[in-house]
Amino acid sequence: MGGVQKKKVCSNSATNYITRNRARKKLQLSLADFRRLCILKGIYPHEPKHKKKVNRGSTAPRTFYLMKDIRFLLHEPIVGKFREYKIFVRKLRKAYGKSEWSGVTRLKDNKPVYKLDHIIKERYPTFIDALRDVDDALSMGFLFSTFARTGKCHVQTIQLCRRLTVEWMNYVITSRALKKVFLSIKGIYYQAEVLGQTITWLVPYQFSHDHPTDVDYRVMATFTEMYTTLMGFINFRLYSSLNLVYPPKLDSKASGALLKGEDDGDYALDSESYMEKLSALSSCLARVVSSVEEDEAQMDHFPVEGEDVEQMEAREKEHKEQEAQRRLFEGLKFFVNREVPRESLAFVLRCFGAQVSWDKSLCIGAAYDVTDETITHHIADRPNMEKQYINRYYIQPQWVYDSINSKICLPVEDYFLGVTLPPHLSPFVEEKEGDYVPPEKLRIMALQRGEAIVQDEDEEDDEDDDDEDEEEEEEEEEEEEEEKEDEQNLKKMETQRSQGKSLSVKVTPGKVKKEDRGRLEQEEKAEEKRLAIMMMKKKEKYLYDKIMFGKKRKVREANKLTAKRKAHDDASKTDKKKKAKKQ
Amino acid sequence: MAPNRRVKRVAASQPGFMTLNTSIKPENLVSNRRKRINKNKKKNWNKHIDVNDVEDFLEDVRLQERTTGVASTTPNTRAIMSNTRAIMSYTRATISTTRAITLCSLCWPLLDSTRNNQQRRGLISDKSDESLFFLDAGDKKAGTQTVVEPTGRRKASRPLKVDLILKNNSLVPVPKDILAYQLPNAKKLRNVAKKAEQLAAIGKVPKKHRPPTKVDGPTKTTAADAPNNPTRDFYDIWGQETKETRDPWYLRQTGKAPVKALLLKAHEVEVKKEKEENKIIKQLAYDKDDRATEESVFQEQVEGLEEEDYDANDFNSACTLGILNLVEKKTEKQRKKERVQKIKEQRRLASRYKTGQQQQLFQLRSIKVSLRQREQRTKERQTQRRANQEAEKYRPRRLGKLKFTAQDLEVQLTNELTGSLRTLKPEGSVLKDRFKSLQKRNLIEPRERAKFKRRLKIKYVEKRSFREIT
Repeated sequence: MGGVQKKKVCSNSATNYITRNRARKKLQLSLADFRRLCILKGIYPHEPKHKKKVNRGSTAPRTFYLMKDIRFLLHEPIVGKFREYKIFVRKLRKAYGKSEWSGVTRLKDNKPVYKLDHIIKERYPTFIDALRDVDDALSMGFLFSTFARTGKCHVQTIQLCRRLTVEWMNYVITSRALKKVFLSIKGIYYQAEVLGQTITWLVPYQFSHDHPTDVDYRVMATFTEMYTTLMGFINFRLYSSLNLVYPPKLDSKASGALLKGEDDGDYALDSESYMEKLSALSSCLARVVSSVEEDEAQMDHFPVEGEDVEQMEAREKEHKEQEAQRRLFEGLKFFVNREVPRESLAFVLRCFGAQVSWDKSLCIGAAYDVTDETITHHIADRPNMEKQYINRYYIQPQWVYDSINSKICLPVEDYFLGVTLPPHLSPFVEEKEGDYVPPEKLRIMALQRGEAIVQDEDEEDDEDDDDEDEEEEEEEEEEEEEEKEDEQNLKKMETQRSQGKSLSVKVTPGKVKKEDRGRLEQEEKAEEKRLAIMMMKKKEKYLYDKIMFGKKRKVREANKLTAKRKAHDDASKTDKKKKAKKQ
Repeated sequence: MAPNRRVKRVAASQPGFMTLNTSIKPENLVSNRRKRINKNKKKNWNKHIDVNDVEDFLEDVRLQERTTGVASTTPNTRAIMSNTRAIMSYTRATISTTRAITLCSLCWPLLDSTRNNQQRRGLISDKSDESLFFLDAGDKKAGTQTVVEPTGRRKASRPLKVDLILKNNSLVPVPKDILAYQLPNAKKLRNVAKKAEQLAAIGKVPKKHRPPTKVDGPTKTTAADAPNNPTRDFYDIWGQETKETRDPWYLRQTGKAPVKALLLKAHEVEVKKEKEENKIIKQLAYDKDDRATEESVFQEQVEGLEEEDYDANDFNSACTLGILNLVEKKTEKQRKKERVQKIKEQRRLASRYKTGQQQQLFQLRSIKVSLRQREQRTKERQTQRRANQEAEKYRPRRLGKLKFTAQDLEVQLTNELTGSLRTLKPEGSVLKDRFKSLQKRNLIEPRERAKFKRRLKIKYVEKRSFREIT
């Protein structure tokens, strides 16, 4: 007799989980409502470790939730609202059916709605928690704000998303928090640092949607509902942290003329024009306490224990660099032609302190005209311009993005109209040692270091190639070098010995032999390493070999890439030469 | 005048009257109670009632009539309805008549609004305030001019029975109702009025006087509450955030951070100890069914005895065997040899033990090394396992019928890439991307769009009429 037999269903794993359908029944909600509730409350399905135990012996694929999660949902006031809404719909249908129009209006007037504020507070107890999770919210918000009013989702949701994203962009502009931008084929990736948190989001290109059929719009709309509420509260907090008025107001002092544009009526309805002006991103925001140009607050230095002067200096240097990056475009005046994505450029340029304007007919909020003589850069994306001003650069939009990523104003020549552009490198790729670094990046790095490269393209290329070759050789020859060193040492010893023999009679004043300490140390280390490898056990040796193999493979790959690149460059060069000959 | 009359009749009431018994005061001898006399007999009138009294009374009445007569002519004065008489009598009992009237007119302005055709009469009163309990209004036309004759108007001036019942009989004056002037909630009303005035000065109209706007209506309030209302406002939701995480600098200064770490360490040590203890306890544990009971103890005691009895039959054979064994006796030589061997063996063991001990001493280092290695290995394994578990968390799980399938990577080949941003053709849907990302992170289970299934096959038929036309 093996003791009391356990009841199967009462065992631990079985009681910890509940199937979706049972949970739904427990909450008395329809599937759609249940799904919505779970999304809003952040309750997600779980895969149990032992499905068979949980599923009463069956292996049928089911969706499971944790029992305690569902128990937690039972107390949610929103559940009540969902039920109310269900009843409301039923009543409304009935009223329609009976064509009681007064009843319909009365019901519609008392339509039950729910608020998500308490859920936000519950899910994100502190502001930083919320800020860490804002990436998703931003991506979703920007996505929804680009939707056309096709009835795939509520127009109101689109409007709210638009409002919140514009608020966000305005905040990023004012705080100059943008760090990186990347134009991909999907959309534009931005990265900003807000209150110490790195936040990345994706903004799709405009007018690029064909609505996919295999996406559940209801689910997405529910997520958006939650995210918009979250974003609103975050925006409020961020605005108040910068002393800005929330909801944002345009600074009436700075843009007095702008506010009273005559052609407002042509562009937008009066009710919408203010919002449009805000979303033009061309003017400053009003502050709660109108401050006189905030002085750059000197960073306070608190010497932290265990941090020496060097580290502190490094920190200071970094801070200075960041400051410089923030003022990258300060003093420059841009004009955006009509064929370039205005919003993205205006946002990005203003983030780094530039002035931006565009054609009046393109968008509201244009500060100056094309004819303005003080414009320094004219961004256009067409092969040629008919009428060109002599005192400004005509450049392609990529210059702006590349400059931001490289943290310096890149030479304009590579980005003139009609010129084949250099590749747009992703700022999110960070090469480690031994990785393949494309020559363009190397060049940019050189520029960052302040090494002026004023040469013809071909020469540069050649130089680059040479560099690469050297690198390759270095990598390959590393191992050989060690051996060579040893040999050299031996030779030296021998010669010394022979010298010693020959000079045994004479005593000359001894020279102080300069010991290259670093070199000696290195040698010693190498020797030790070799010995250690020799002494390794079989198992460890195997592991070591594996690691070394991985490293070598990496090097090989990098080499392959460089070789490929070289071949490509050669091919293009010959093509060019051929063309030149033909001409 | 009553006192005069009494003075005449009773000597004891006269001043200076001295009683024989000094303990009794002369005032107490005279009863204060007025003697009850029937007034419907002429004899009684002559005998007991002073003419002066009557005269005085009448004079008083006239005087009062004169004053109230004037009041009743003025339009402001309110006469009180007969049905509110009870209330009125109460007030009247407290304050003098004239005041009562004016007060009533102040306090109950509403009462007279419901008044119907009540006869207004001139006011008749008793002699004194205490006995005054009833207020009656006379005819407006007649009452003012006519001087009330006590004989002719007796019936009219007689108090109603109700009033008599409600009359306050006690001689103790009713405490003054100081609340009479006060309105209920007067302070609040006053404040409200003041506030309204202030708001009016600014130009704001209180909500109840404002015409109902759309915003106030139930429709718009619900719409404004909706989470997707584009004009909704936000507030500082994290405003009252309790600061749990303290400044690291502060912690370092107060030495709280290291203390925490130390505590954790100490805790870990304790846990380890406890584990070991538990281990030992587990090893020492015995089955509870094996616990000695009385029965088992008895069994144990009895064990050998019973068996002896049982084996009694075989006793003889066993004995013979034992005897046989005993019969083989060792010789002296043998014994010696055995002893020597024994000693030898003991020595051997001792030396072996000794060398073993020494060997172990020398082995100590290698043992230590092996121990360290083992510990390191377990540590490595632990970290590896932990990393695996962590990685497992972020793997897309099987959450429903369908497995998660990653989206294809969108790539444009070199020849597909165009030279400029203007001609760039966006690829892939961001929406789908987001959706897949949510699935990948196990936030939603992968699903398929519900398929529409036709239960019956559709038969395509070309109508004849249609064919004819074409």
